[in-house]
Amino acid sequence: MAEAKELQAPFELVAEIHKTGKLPVVNFAAGGVATPADAALMMQLGADGVFVGSGIFKSSDPAVRAKAIVQATTHYHDAKIIAEVSKNLGEAMPGLDIKQIPPEELLAGRGW
Amino acid sequence: MKIGVLALQGAFAEHIAVLKRLNVDVVPVRLPHQLEELDGLIIPGGESTTITKLMVNYNLAHKISELAKKNFPIFGTCAGMIVIASGVANGKIEPIGAMAIKVKRNAFGRQVDSFETELAIPALGKKPFVGVFIRAPLIESVGKEVKVLAKLPDGTIVAARQDKLLVCAFHPELTDDLRFHQYFLDIISGKR
Repeated sequence: MAEAKELQAPFELVAEIHKTGKLPVVNFAAGGVATPADAALMMQLGADGVFVGSGIFKSSDPAVRAKAIVQATTHYHDAKIIAEVSKNLGEAMPGLDIKQIPPEELLAGRGW
Repeated sequence: MKIGVLALQGAFAEHIAVLKRLNVDVVPVRLPHQLEELDGLIIPGGESTTITKLMVNYNLAHKISELAKKNFPIFGTCAGMIVIASGVANGKIEPIGAMAIKVKRNAFGRQVDSFETELAIPALGKKPFVGVFIRAPLIESVGKEVKVLAKLPDGTIVAARQDKLLVCAFHPELTDDLRFHQYFLDIISGKR
């Protein structure tokens, strides 16, 4: 009760989360997931599932990478399988170095 | 008692939580060797195309269908019911064909048509059981070795049993009512 007051959250909700160890909503992870290991890491951190968009479609071989990411998400506890499916996937989605983005295109400068 | 829950995709975490409340040992099954020394297996709801595709990897589909032939207890809910059926009316699904039922996928329409309803299930006692139907399948026809356990008011078959194989079109793991899972445990221990 004291904890609920401290958090300014409903007592019933705090009690339920204490019991179950997680929020009563499905938690999907997304954004910047580019490799099978990234997806597995999200699952290990407690996500219920992973959305991957550009991580697949901006890679050099989307079909192969999509399959590998699905496998790694299912077998997220199994380092051996994650390593196996991570072989021969081609190039991952390229990252952008902040120094190479012109200042006028930086969100911090241009706003939305 | 040790029960496996096929944990490739779908509502496996919810089934595991129910089984823990019933004080049985639970094994999430993702690889064939995890099927060893189990007393029964639950195939959860989820997306049946995805589950059947993932079952082909690592030879799980073959192993599970071999077990089913040896009278191994399997409980399939929603997509899990589709997985163990002998025929699927629509969609490019290859079920393992363990149970003499023909099913139809997404039989009630799209997500917006998902619903909950009270079902009379005599095998579970007098109190109605709340069936949570989420883009649910239905059973179109059953073989003579299959016992129908529950129907909707219009006669649609939504739960059935064939020896130690148990199926339902809805999601018993999403309610607080443990009777359907208990019924499966009773089938395994030979009480029912």
